Amino acid sequence: MASTACFMIVSKNDIPIYEAEVGSVPKKEDAAHQHQFILHAALDIVQDMAWTTSAMFLKAIDRFNDLVVSVYVTAGHTRLMLLHDSRNDDGIKSFFQEVHELYIKTLLNPLYLPGSRITSSHFDTKVRALARKYL
Amino acid sequence: MGREVSESCVESLVAEIVSSYCRGFYADKPELAAPRIEAIGFQVGHQLSERYTMDRPRFTDHLEAIKFICKDFWSELFKKQIDNLKTNHRGTFVLQDNRFRWLAHMSVDPSVETTGSIQDPSAMAENRAAQATGLHLYFPCGIIRGALSNLGIPCAVSADISNLPACSFVVRIKA
Repeated sequence: MASTACFMIVSKNDIPIYEAEVGSVPKKEDAAHQHQFILHAALDIVQDMAWTTSAMFLKAIDRFNDLVVSVYVTAGHTRLMLLHDSRNDDGIKSFFQEVHELYIKTLLNPLYLPGSRITSSHFDTKVRALARKYL
Repeated sequence: MGREVSESCVESLVAEIVSSYCRGFYADKPELAAPRIEAIGFQVGHQLSERYTMDRPRFTDHLEAIKFICKDFWSELFKKQIDNLKTNHRGTFVLQDNRFRWLAHMSVDPSVETTGSIQDPSAMAENRAAQATGLHLYFPCGIIRGALSNLGIPCAVSADISNLPACSFVVRIKA
């Protein structure tokens, strides 16, 4: 089941700290740039919507052709954003919750500076495994 | 991710942090020990707040965040909630804990020095107690400041120990 998906974590200072293409479709070079562009453009909308609700999971907040942007906001205002073409809301919510737990474990590392890029390959492997499982 | 730690270990660790920073690492510059301990507390508070807000909905305003600190956060750390919360509705909150767990087992030697001072002996004893325990409160102040700043509320936290074992934490939100 081929699906496109691009996942990004943005810190509360609006700096992207993690990016990954997690879809099962082999990516084309210009598609990757386009996915990044769409996600960055959706940040303004996330900003507005985040203040209207106290839930963490904001469902589909933006559309581009047939791609949908879903966002999960943590209490520390870190945004986990996913660009996808599937409609599997529950799977996406579980994916976000598991990545949130992974992110907290990264934060608990005393050598990790909050707000800096996540460069751990272990984190990367786990996120991709979760994406294969839930998306 | 939720495992437990022995409480006596935590108390001993906190007491030893204060002791080794004040007498060991910064023995010749004692005024640097306090900000260093507070910075350690800041990072711990930052991480703890991220962990404890995982399963609950986000906060809509400052008061909600302070109430979270008073209830859920405090009960995770100290197995009790804050006993009294006061605010002046202009950015200052006073969190009062009537029996602060980390200070509950601390005592100060009550023997009074005979230096012929004209100060009232009970005031002197209180002064010494306040000085000794004041250092131990930098860490909890840092924890509160770290937790609040992670929730988006930059603030300054100070502790007031006029009557032990009760202590108050004064949170001033930077406008």
